Amino acid sequence: MPQVMVVARNFMDMVAALPAAKLDMLYDSAFICEAVLRSLPPLAKKYALQMLYVSAPVAAAAMEEWVLDEYAAKHRVAIDRLLQLRVFVEVRDRRKEVSYKMNQKFQGNMQKYLVDGGSLPREPIPSSVTARLPTLAELESFALEQWECFLLQLINSSQVERGTSFSSSMMRTFQRGLLSSRDGEAPRLTENGFQFLLMETNAQLWYIMREYISSAEERGVDPTELISFLLELSFHTLGEAYSLNTLTDVQRNAIRDLAELGLVKLQQGRKDSWFIPTKLATNLSASLSDSSSNKEGFVVVETNFRMYAYSTSRLHCEILRLFSRVEYQLPNLIVGSITKESLYGAFENGITAEQIISFLQQNAHPRVADKIPAVPENVTDQIRLWETDRNRVDMTLSHLYEDFPSKDMFEQCCDYARDHGCLLWEDAKKMRLIVRVEFHPEMREFLRRLR
Amino acid sequence: MVNAIKGLFISCDVPMAQFIVNLNASMPASDKFILHMLDPTHMFVQPHVAEMIRSKISEFRDQNSYEKPT
Repeated sequence: MPQVMVVARNFMDMVAALPAAKLDMLYDSAFICEAVLRSLPPLAKKYALQMLYVSAPVAAAAMEEWVLDEYAAKHRVAIDRLLQLRVFVEVRDRRKEVSYKMNQKFQGNMQKYLVDGGSLPREPIPSSVTARLPTLAELESFALEQWECFLLQLINSSQVERGTSFSSSMMRTFQRGLLSSRDGEAPRLTENGFQFLLMETNAQLWYIMREYISSAEERGVDPTELISFLLELSFHTLGEAYSLNTLTDVQRNAIRDLAELGLVKLQQGRKDSWFIPTKLATNLSASLSDSSSNKEGFVVVETNFRMYAYSTSRLHCEILRLFSRVEYQLPNLIVGSITKESLYGAFENGITAEQIISFLQQNAHPRVADKIPAVPENVTDQIRLWETDRNRVDMTLSHLYEDFPSKDMFEQCCDYARDHGCLLWEDAKKMRLIVRVEFHPEMREFLRRLR
Repeated sequence: MVNAIKGLFISCDVPMAQFIVNLNASMPASDKFILHMLDPTHMFVQPHVAEMIRSKISEFRDQNSYEKPT
């Protein structure tokens, strides 16, 4: 049965949920306008550009004619999204006809943006000041190391040699929903926590960022400011240095936290200090829906259920341990096997077979990634079979009705329950029927009326 | 007069049904839980036995699998 998933929903959904006044405030910045434009579905993107130089409201009916009838659904989705994000504003004239007008701020900013391109509120520091910047590869390994360190701390805070400097209250906010801790017991990963670990880095980042932003108010920080800063950050150039002096106080506090997560690297020069955005930051607003990470995979699964993971990371080892039996570890290699027992352990914890399979496929070692399928079919099939094996017995709480006085009444009752989709079983010969437990009150009412 | 009984509707495959029937037979008379055997793959049982049946099934499954000692 499907469990409640940790949904790494789009950042833009969060933006769309802001109150109108705050949203309008966000559109003061041309970057946010661009980030919003980028996030739109293709049709909505086209509408936004089409309306860019139209200042008068356009009737909704006229807009509907822009698309063929069979695409009306897509049209609706696009318009809804534009309205949600207040890119379009609804205007009603005297005859109550709806027409849409573009948000003035958004329009103005985008027009300006088209003409002279965007310029960030801060320029990169010239290389004469910064002397030596980390190379892109160094930066990436820094980001990943930092992120891994954070994740390790998240899942078991006790075993980390080099912790991040997040306050324990901050950490608790992040752990909320991922770990459950009862008094006097070591915290345990919840189902959501396991699913979180199997997600892609980008999706994980989103989840954490969402928690970070939604807990901002408790820390006395305006979430709007954080959102706008994060979006702005994603437009900075990867690997360039930007001075910390250009930031506001809120932003400076935030950037320290972001450095802990590996989104930016902080460096100190002789006089200045600056931050360098890493890949994690610049990927933030880029089309998140197709966030295909081009991270190199490391897992090879053989047809005999053996699993070789070429990795030095402790986090990877912990993750593999969730669903497989780690047999031995060499300095750069983890060898494990996928067994029925290890998988049952994973299923107990609420991980689904599909999640395990997609994890194995996404992280397939380059040597096997080109093969189709990347994970041997007999292994994936067996994983799925073991999962269904657990659900061989289906139980439903229900009520059984018997001793009907007449065939006619029995049939009426059957039809009534069937029409409501609550009939589980009927036996015409013995005149018995079984309905779902939630349908019992209605059934009783129905029987009373029949009498 | 129509009679209503609260219970659990179980639907499963034949071997599992047999396992449950056998489990029921092994219980003392006061603890028998199957109210109606509807057909080889469906039955109607007392409402409170869900957890018991589930744990017995997983116990049975564990007995039937071998884990390599570490």
